[in-house]
Amino acid sequence: MSAPVLEIADVVTAYGKIEALKGVTLAVAEGSITCLLGPNGAGKTTLMMTTSGILKPRRGSIRFGGEEIAGRAPHDIVARGIALVPENRLVFPHMTVADNLAAGAYQRDDKTGIAEDVERMYGRFPRLKERATQEAGTLSGGEQQMLAVARALMSRPKLLLMDEPSLGLAPLIVEEIFRIIAELNRDGTTIFLVEQNAHMALKVAHHFYLIEQGRVTFSGSPGALAEDEVIRRAYLGSARQ
Amino acid sequence: MFVDLVQNTLDGVMLGSAYALLALGFTLIFGVLRRANLSYGPAIMLGAYAATWVHLQFHAGFLALAAVTIVGAMLAGAYVERLCFAPHGRRSTSGDAAAVASMVGSFALWMQLEEIATLWLPKHLYSFPPLYDGPPLALGPFTLRVEYLAMLICAIAACFGLHRLLAQTRFGLAVRAIVDQADAARLAGINVPRVFMLVFALASALGGLAGYLIVAAHEQVTPMLGMWSTLKGIIAMMLGGLGSLPGAVVGALALGLIEAHSQWLLGPQYRDLIAYLVLFALLALRPAGLWAMLRRATGPTAA
Repeated sequence: MSAPVLEIADVVTAYGKIEALKGVTLAVAEGSITCLLGPNGAGKTTLMMTTSGILKPRRGSIRFGGEEIAGRAPHDIVARGIALVPENRLVFPHMTVADNLAAGAYQRDDKTGIAEDVERMYGRFPRLKERATQEAGTLSGGEQQMLAVARALMSRPKLLLMDEPSLGLAPLIVEEIFRIIAELNRDGTTIFLVEQNAHMALKVAHHFYLIEQGRVTFSGSPGALAEDEVIRRAYLGSARQ
Repeated sequence: MFVDLVQNTLDGVMLGSAYALLALGFTLIFGVLRRANLSYGPAIMLGAYAATWVHLQFHAGFLALAAVTIVGAMLAGAYVERLCFAPHGRRSTSGDAAAVASMVGSFALWMQLEEIATLWLPKHLYSFPPLYDGPPLALGPFTLRVEYLAMLICAIAACFGLHRLLAQTRFGLAVRAIVDQADAARLAGINVPRVFMLVFALASALGGLAGYLIVAAHEQVTPMLGMWSTLKGIIAMMLGGLGSLPGAVVGALALGLIEAHSQWLLGPQYRDLIAYLVLFALLALRPAGLWAMLRRATGPTAA
């Protein structure tokens, strides 16, 4: 495992009195695809929101590239090179596809670089080009997911966080999303993703964490994950393939 | 009869453009922050008081007085923003409680700003130099007051300026993104508290401009200007449709026309009564406001 680019240590995040994260510790290796599994309500989204600065941790440390970022404002964290593709995509529904991408590049001021990146996104996601002047709210779920990924990439992140990118999408679209995840990773982006679809995640991820009730309960390679009897039953179905 | 009708309509449009400037500022804050700023008018009033003070001390020209009103309104607006709106804007999961806290806070500051004004300049009424001292313009049988013509021009310029700002600039992109999906805007790297502050500054500047033109037209300043400005801004916004900028202009013009015509038909004591009746009727029957009605009547069917 190469050096970690993201190190989360003993992070506690609470909503009022309820601690959603009860001391989470994990690391994401540079250049890897790291996948966080876990049941609903385990704290997966809370961890993503805390890492991206939307939620402030009550205590603990989040280091990105060696620098402490816990509790910093989201725009500061984006500036350092982390972008989140949020759960349920959260595109800007009343803005055009082109404006959604422009908003993703909000912190950049290199006009030609931005224009090149927009073209690159249209190359990677041809459907977005066809719908460039359409309002994002009129896109299908799969197209919105593509747009959310493209928007996050417009900030040129070193680390891409993805919160359940396959949620509510048809199997063919899910396959496409995972193909894109693998591609992005091959092009050098580190990816930390939350996923319920363990079967798909097993095909691309290099390392797995399992989070239950706000604590990390498993850390290991895809092989170790597939070997673990309990996890296999809960996340991969009982039959061994 | 016909001449009166046209003259009243002209007067209504002129009055409406003063309301439009007030309503644009109020609506900008409401539309972006989703918070009602009751101190909007009182901040304008404080700007007008600063200008009155400068007038009394130095007999400054109209440009200086306009600048002082605008800067004064912006400073008072910034004070309101820091105290009432910034602390609650930082939380992403703000909800209704924060909105109520902001509104109540802005009500408290309204009282405070009025106190400051009356401690500063304790007479109830101060005269204010007019923008233009000559007779009204005559257009055939009709007359137009130059001050109100200036308001109409400023209101039109403000509409176009705001539209361009929102549609074509980076700042406008940030504002639209926040209005559309605030959490996504944060995740896109937009510094939301800073954009809120700039929106407040812009709204206060528009309000300050409106305030200067209004006191220069009325040629007097009283502490009532604060409440009056907030009320006209709110009513125009509610008539037009909550949080919509074109709606604010439509609502402001409608308010001006309603006031001008009802004053002529029934007398000045009925003017506000009729305006409020129309507002209640509209809220009961068409709560989405006039702008939504116009769009439905003229545009293609909504998607």
